[in-house]
Amino acid sequence: MSDAGARPLDGVRVADFSWFGAGPIAGRTLADFGAEVIRIESEARVDGLRLTQPQKPGMSGYNVGAYFNNYNAGKASLLLNMGAEGGREVALRLIERSDVFLSNLTPRVIERWGLTYEELCEVNPAIIAAYQPMQGTFGPHRDFLGFGAVLTPVTGISHLSGEPDRRPVGVGTNYPDYAVNPGHTVIAILAALRHRRRTGEGQRIELAQLESVAATMGPSLLDYTANGRNPLRKGNRSSWMAPHGIYRCRDGARGAVHPDGSTVRERWIAVAVRSDVEWSAFCEVAGDALFTQDERFATLLGRREYEDALNQAIGAWAADWEATELVEALQAAGVAAGVVQDAEDVCEHDRHLRQRGFYEYLDHPETGVSLYDGPIVKLHATPGELVAPAPLFGEHTYAVATEILGYSAEEVAELTAAGVLA
Amino acid sequence: MTTSMALDGVRVLDLSSEMGWYAGKLLADLGADVIKVEPPGGDPGRGLPPFWADQAGRETSLRFWYFNANKRSVTVDLTQHDGRHLFGRLVDTADIVIESFRPGELEALGVDVGALRERRPALVWASISGFGLDGPHAGWEVTDIVAQAVAGIAVLAGYPDGSPQRIAGNAAYVVAGISAAQGALLALLHAEATGEGQLVETSLQEALSICQETSHLGWDFQRWSRERIGEQHRMPGIGTYETRDGYIYSAVGIPGFGAPWTELIAWMADEGQAEDLTEPQFAETFAAFDMRTLGDPERLAALAPTLARAQEVLTEFYAGKSSMEVYEQGQARRLLIGMVASPADIADSHHLAAREWWVELEQSRGLGAEPVPLRMPGPPYRLSATPVAVRGGAPRIGEHNREVWVDEVGVPFEDLSVYAGEGAI
Repeated sequence: MSDAGARPLDGVRVADFSWFGAGPIAGRTLADFGAEVIRIESEARVDGLRLTQPQKPGMSGYNVGAYFNNYNAGKASLLLNMGAEGGREVALRLIERSDVFLSNLTPRVIERWGLTYEELCEVNPAIIAAYQPMQGTFGPHRDFLGFGAVLTPVTGISHLSGEPDRRPVGVGTNYPDYAVNPGHTVIAILAALRHRRRTGEGQRIELAQLESVAATMGPSLLDYTANGRNPLRKGNRSSWMAPHGIYRCRDGARGAVHPDGSTVRERWIAVAVRSDVEWSAFCEVAGDALFTQDERFATLLGRREYEDALNQAIGAWAADWEATELVEALQAAGVAAGVVQDAEDVCEHDRHLRQRGFYEYLDHPETGVSLYDGPIVKLHATPGELVAPAPLFGEHTYAVATEILGYSAEEVAELTAAGVLA
Repeated sequence: MTTSMALDGVRVLDLSSEMGWYAGKLLADLGADVIKVEPPGGDPGRGLPPFWADQAGRETSLRFWYFNANKRSVTVDLTQHDGRHLFGRLVDTADIVIESFRPGELEALGVDVGALRERRPALVWASISGFGLDGPHAGWEVTDIVAQAVAGIAVLAGYPDGSPQRIAGNAAYVVAGISAAQGALLALLHAEATGEGQLVETSLQEALSICQETSHLGWDFQRWSRERIGEQHRMPGIGTYETRDGYIYSAVGIPGFGAPWTELIAWMADEGQAEDLTEPQFAETFAAFDMRTLGDPERLAALAPTLARAQEVLTEFYAGKSSMEVYEQGQARRLLIGMVASPADIADSHHLAAREWWVELEQSRGLGAEPVPLRMPGPPYRLSATPVAVRGGAPRIGEHNREVWVDEVGVPFEDLSVYAGEGAI
């Protein structure tokens, strides 16, 4: 068995110059699995997620934003002003003593700050440097700006998501920032770590966020490059399953009064029927509903041909059901179904997530006991671990400067007086 | 030692359905030897659309081709004793197994996963399932839309007067594949360092739930659940706009993100289309804008006529240009704008062409059929010392049976025909 507490990335140090979502989430996964991750922050460029909602009610400041805190659990925070004279030297000193450099800054800022791969190699030739430019460091659009909400349209997700007869409004979140771009980045870093362990050689990783997201859209892109067909969004319908959609059930009570004053909430369920056998099972649950006897719906081809009528019939039938009961009945019959869960469900009512202990509640010095996402994947021998809540703004400047960078207390005081550290 | 790819020497057995294909693809493109282990008739996912030239068949699925390029294929019937024996010998040569059976399903077939792992202590066994290996929903049926529903993200997408929506591209399968690949590589690093293998468990629900953004955090702090808002609460400059030939998404006016609204006014003025927006009240209004304004209903009400007029002029301005014009001209002014690109727009992108992102390869359509040239999306990242490479197309069913079973596992060739005869492979 492994040593107690040993994790796969123990001993790996990450100089994390990233901010917002796609970079810090990659750093969070590395931290969960043992890496020592040092976030470089600055009063001159405060991570916007420290300032946005949701903030702990009745509190303000840089430390009470859950959006930031969730993605930065277990990291250290070093305040370093890259714009100050001497700032770059401190940065390079950290990079010299790190295994991985991580950044989602734009190519312009990387160049201005002198943190290109070639420059990092001058102090640390074995560094693994991961860059996440929006569209890459070369090409006609290299300086284009963006974040998740802009990536969703430019990568085809907006065009292909939502109802076909309505305007494409995206998916309601900055979807690419949360799993696709950070996850791909971690994969590349882990692959590079393996290569370095075997050969001693570091390398440069370029994850152009545009390419990283477009790479997940293979089948739709191939439908065009191979077949010349330019697919359009089709709502919740599938090209091979029917019924396949999201159906409304009976309204339910809210666990707390909504800011708009409402005490009830809509309840919906998702259903996917993959075969005629599953359709029979679905009809068993529906009992004597008329659509179960409708010959048009007996075969997949029929259900696809008369999908409007099918959805209308199922919608009318589902409307009388309580969502959770309907899902349990369908699952008991072997039909894929799930409640369209909202935050209240996920946090309070989903007994499955709770029993698995997915969410973690960490005691943060300012926000108190607060919710954090658990590790994204469960390793049974060396599980991910949230060893600490998010760092306070600049909480570890002194510790990092003295213990890792090797500055004396006097030098730290000088750097602080010069506006380099804070 | 010279190595050219990051995962040289790593053997992966990929038993997964569509749900897990992407994990194996990610490892294969980094250099792992990924062998698909399919039932004798082939992975049922070979029957999934879209198809090449719309010809449905076992060897023509574009979906299958994309997610299984660079892999090899063997067939084996795990329901037969001899099939399980062969599979065990193959596992003895592997570093990672990826599978997406329902919890207990493999054991029900007669595959003793525990014994296989005991025999090969450094083995990484990566399981991908809808809800994970334990808990009250562990055995539940799952598909992409169901995972998106239970993960708390479908509730955030769509119009308030429509239904919740799912994210295109089988987002749950994609994200699960990415999570499983991360887990498998973490476990591989640990196994290579210590000799200890382990079970790596991916739940679609949990992997995807991080995409809730702030939804669950909002509940934790403020006890309210975010819901889909479609185009409600729109500020001028932020949202979807129609163009001459499609749509763009504009995110101008978010404090700290790109050039401000005044740049938008300057752009319209340069083209003689700013109308009355050059009057000082507009610049003043937008200059004073910050996140607090957006959350202050009284202030917004007072500004409503100004904002409505700005919206009207901007809508007209965007509508007079093509999507690509709005996108490129706006971005040249550092305005945060993206075009709502279709697959055709992405395929024709001169930026991606200049980056030589696309992969060209020859794809087999089965024995006796001419292979076809295929232009596939490229990799998600570029590694300077160990470049990612898609070296070949997706395999035919059992294409590598002889190569793997005879040459690599050491099954005598005569025995192979016996196994084939009884349907074990």
